[in-house]
Amino acid sequence: MGEGQVRRLVRFTFLATLFLLLPAPASAAEEVSVPEVLELGAELAGEEVTVEGELVGDYGVRDDGSMWTQLNGDAYAHRPIREGNLPVGANVGIALRMPVEQTEALDPPGGYRHRGPIVRVTGVWKYHDSRRPGESYLEVRSLTITEPGRQLDEEVDLTPVVVGALLMVGAGIIALLTRSED
Amino acid sequence: MLIRPVAEDLRVIGFYMGRISLVVAGASLLPLAWAGIAREWNPFGSFLMMTGVFALLGVIGVRLAPKESELDWSHGMVVVALTWLIVPVIGAIPLLLSGHFGRPLDALFDAMSGLTTTGLSLLSDVDHLASSLNFWRHFLQFLGGQGIILAALTIFAGTGGITLYFGEARDERILPSVTSTARFIWAVSVVHLIFGVTALGLVGWLVLGFDLDRSLFHGLMIFFAGFDTGGFSPQSTSIGYYHSAIFEGVTALLMVAGAMSFGLHYALWRGPRRSVFANLETRTILSTFGFTMVLTLLGLAATGLFVDVAGLTRQGFFQVLSAHTGTGFSTVPSAELAKWGGLAFGGMAIAMALGGMGSSTAGGVKSLRIGLTIKAVVNQIRQVLLPEHALVGTAYHQSGRKHLTPALIQSVMIVSLLYVALYLLGAGMGLAYGIPLQASLFESVSASANVGLSVGVTDPSMPILLELVYMLQMWAGRLEFVAVFSLLGFVYSWVRGK
Repeated sequence: MGEGQVRRLVRFTFLATLFLLLPAPASAAEEVSVPEVLELGAELAGEEVTVEGELVGDYGVRDDGSMWTQLNGDAYAHRPIREGNLPVGANVGIALRMPVEQTEALDPPGGYRHRGPIVRVTGVWKYHDSRRPGESYLEVRSLTITEPGRQLDEEVDLTPVVVGALLMVGAGIIALLTRSED
Repeated sequence: MLIRPVAEDLRVIGFYMGRISLVVAGASLLPLAWAGIAREWNPFGSFLMMTGVFALLGVIGVRLAPKESELDWSHGMVVVALTWLIVPVIGAIPLLLSGHFGRPLDALFDAMSGLTTTGLSLLSDVDHLASSLNFWRHFLQFLGGQGIILAALTIFAGTGGITLYFGEARDERILPSVTSTARFIWAVSVVHLIFGVTALGLVGWLVLGFDLDRSLFHGLMIFFAGFDTGGFSPQSTSIGYYHSAIFEGVTALLMVAGAMSFGLHYALWRGPRRSVFANLETRTILSTFGFTMVLTLLGLAATGLFVDVAGLTRQGFFQVLSAHTGTGFSTVPSAELAKWGGLAFGGMAIAMALGGMGSSTAGGVKSLRIGLTIKAVVNQIRQVLLPEHALVGTAYHQSGRKHLTPALIQSVMIVSLLYVALYLLGAGMGLAYGIPLQASLFESVSASANVGLSVGVTDPSMPILLELVYMLQMWAGRLEFVAVFSLLGFVYSWVRGK
């Protein structure tokens, strides 16, 4: 092994050790939850953040080439009540604004018939943005689908239908009796 | 001597409640049909069950047809108070069966909140709720805002119609008969419905880029909750969901229309329009809106939450308008509203407490009472300052020249004080559970004045007693006390009378 090779090996070892020992460079985007975004609203203003959650409601495609939707980061994002989750409180969501091209591969948004796609988005948190007077939303720069959306099937419970029909028949009989007595 | 009600009294009350129940059963066919068309079969079953209960109670009540007595004042008040208790109980059936509530009481809370056009909600996961159930929640606000009794009076009136009409917190008869007044109110509402749903639907479709069917769905829901100053919304982020100044503008127009008395609507339709602005009530509401708006904007500016005037004005204006009209829509989350301290909190709380106009769909003390109270106080001060025998004018303008009589002042003061007592009741209860004063007071005023804005106290984990108190506040606040006290008096007579 020549001197040059030894020098290169020492340099490589030194740099590799340095790389392993030094803390990893901080990611530009801070990873936060949706409730944290709402709670820390003003403190995160203008920051790049990464959040994960379910897309719900509508995909509103506007004339300026943007698409608006809502990202929920609550207890129901992965498992809505219709899939057996317990009712523990209101939804927690923030608005997303993104270029319409980013939305082409998205499944339908969450609602009664669908659990919306779970996405991981990175973007700038606009808090009471002066360009859209007073509005707060996440200006999305990148989006990754971590779990596709799925259809929510309805298991029909016939008991209320039978009880309701019996009540209606009962009401009809009493109405007929009243009329005949009159 | 206290006279115990007899069987004939119960027959009269039961008969009229039966008729009203049949009208509500008829109205329940709408969500039933919606669920069927949308193929939402579990909600369909629950709506069928609810309609069956209303229909059965209705026909049983009608069978009780009284033989001699007619509906008198006290019967009418008891019918109104009981109707506003029983309709939420039965109307909660579909909500309870949806699985979106942790406790049966929570479903009843939402039904009461919907019917009284309050808008506070304990519903979990509204973003995955069936469209028919969303329709029912918002339709409840429409029924309650218009008045269930008013809906019934449109179909039948009879001799006791006027008692029922006044029992539902309406203090002016616009046309000679109650039926024609009821039909006029429905006509105004239908015109606004057509305008409102069309405008909101077009904004949703053309500006927000929603699908046409979803645009119309959002338009219909926001119309029901906006015109009837209810405050429910089909998405969890309320009006903030739409991120559109135009959508907020149309919604604001509907809120204003809802907070206007139907007498004012009549004057604007038939003229002369200029005299409308001479009315004490109009002047009072414009003044109090301006005052609370300035207060809130100054407070918001001090919080430093907004970086520009346009944003501060847009958000402040919408929130104050929503509070003053008793609607409860918001464009900022509850977590942020809770940070509106100082003057901003004061402005919002005062706006909620004052409320809209009398004989409107709004709640609160009401502008005419505020105007009359101020006038009475000013007159009193002038009387003290002027020479002993000087005459102080007592006239005021409200759809013509009227006089401020001692009896009128007394009645205005009593109702206003009862509202203050109601606000303090919920606030005290909140404090007893360790909730901070500001949040306790805000939520209590919101419930009593049927507003629906929340700083987060109303939550499925809230104490049951506090939940019951809020329900009582919503009920008493909507009926403006008279019918409530009549029912209490009726029950007391039943227990202690001879």
